[in-house]
Amino acid sequence: MAEHLIDVFTYPPIQRAFVACVLCGASCALLSVFVVLMKMPLIGVSMSHAAFAGAVLGMLLGINPFLSGFIMCLLTAAVLGPLSDRTDMAPENVLGIMFSFLMGLAFLGMGILTKTKADALNLMWGSLLSLSGSDILVLSLITAILVLFVLLFFKEIRSVLFNRRLAAASGIPGKLIYYTLLFLTGAVVSSNLATVGGLLIFALLVQPGATALQLTYNLKHFFIISVASGVGACVSGLIASYIFDLPSGAAVVLMATIIFAAAYIFSPKRRTAKLKKKEYIL
Amino acid sequence: MKQDCLYGRAMSKQIIELEGVTVRKSGGLLLDGISISMSSREFVGIIGPNGAGKTTLLNVIAGFEKFEGTLSLFGQRESWKRSRETRLRIGYVPQLFQIDPAFPILASEAVMTGSIGRLGLFRSPGRQEKEKTMQLMEMMRVAHLADRPLGQLSGGERQKVSLARAILQQPDILLMDEPTANLDIAVQKEVLNLISEIHKQEDLTILFVTHDFNLLPVAMRRAVLLDSGKTVFDGDIGIAMSSETLSRLFQYPLETFERNGRRFVSYG
Repeated sequence: MAEHLIDVFTYPPIQRAFVACVLCGASCALLSVFVVLMKMPLIGVSMSHAAFAGAVLGMLLGINPFLSGFIMCLLTAAVLGPLSDRTDMAPENVLGIMFSFLMGLAFLGMGILTKTKADALNLMWGSLLSLSGSDILVLSLITAILVLFVLLFFKEIRSVLFNRRLAAASGIPGKLIYYTLLFLTGAVVSSNLATVGGLLIFALLVQPGATALQLTYNLKHFFIISVASGVGACVSGLIASYIFDLPSGAAVVLMATIIFAAAYIFSPKRRTAKLKKKEYIL
Repeated sequence: MKQDCLYGRAMSKQIIELEGVTVRKSGGLLLDGISISMSSREFVGIIGPNGAGKTTLLNVIAGFEKFEGTLSLFGQRESWKRSRETRLRIGYVPQLFQIDPAFPILASEAVMTGSIGRLGLFRSPGRQEKEKTMQLMEMMRVAHLADRPLGQLSGGERQKVSLARAILQQPDILLMDEPTANLDIAVQKEVLNLISEIHKQEDLTILFVTHDFNLLPVAMRRAVLLDSGKTVFDGDIGIAMSSETLSRLFQYPLETFERNGRRFVSYG
């Protein structure tokens, strides 16, 4: 079995799928730290649907679907950013409206598309085995930018995650960090349409961060654990999908859920919280 | 404690001046032509019922709110958009806010976020910042909690961390928005005493927003009473706290009494 697996890795499409899995896991997991700690899971949903809707529209108009997906993400970010800053509208409502609007747009596009529905469906689930070299290049580039962003602005990011308003009040460029983040979310989501697809990517934008939340109080470790669990889910999902002949996107998402469940059950943070509660009662 | 020459500070000049400041929102007036000025090292209470415009006033000074009229800070006219330098000179202590108990930040790291703006991009907090952090945490009596996750501290402890964070920023003006709201009574008293201590030790102008006349720091000498977006009184705290003034302003019979040389309001 193991030999067979190693054999398989000599095929270029499988190699590419493997590299893409690592990159997809890492980039989505880094973003998931922000999605989870800023409590904005709906941003992930909206962005992934924006990318999907944009890609479908791109197919309709004969534009590169990933480019149109990215443009749609940027447009969504440009609307979401200022709207969620306003105090007279709850961000959840704004996001809910955006999300359903984009979904409607995507399905409208799917309905109008006559011939190439299969391609559009691929954007929903992803197709790891049909990736090209340039797909990998784009993915690596975007992942590298994201890693650089986190490393260079770590202390500002910590302040903004802690409290955006306080950060802004004390001279930290909170807006710059926030909008860079939205921009990078758009880039990651649209470049991963080809790997895990527009629907399933949402799981990877939440679960690695939620896993890390169970395990550490240290923000550095938080990023590392999140990336490890994201990459772990993607790679183990890919292998499982090969061995058991399952759809790869679904296997990846299920693996991410299993990792989260394990972290939740064995969470040292939850245990200390429980102990404290007991002490309190005594 | 601070380098006074850093930004060319001028002592006992008017460092906050508002002239006819008005804030409109969804058709209503949140602030209606407010004119106040404050000099360096003053400790001013902004007091009034809910919806009087106290927080809006703080937001105008902090640069969170668009407004009409003129606002001068440190002798310079300012709009709601601020330079980083001006923001650095204004510290902010918010009301106790919710934080997820699992959130990955330690109490000392939360204090340290106060130094990030001053450090600027691409520079990490060094030994100096870390020492100052511990010093301030000691002053706020939370040094023993430095390595505890912030979300696991009590409300009072978190507010003390918030105070330490604001002072680490080394501001010239400190804005406080009901810093003792939602705390236990004994803890409220302790935090108020710490705030008076801060005013004594640090070279600061403090604006303290509250709706509770009985929970004022001892160091506060001047009160600005707000009602429906207007200034209804501006002067000595002792005069503000007389039965006549308060009953007239709030159109409700309020009695005040004196204990240990300070006046209190009887709501009963």
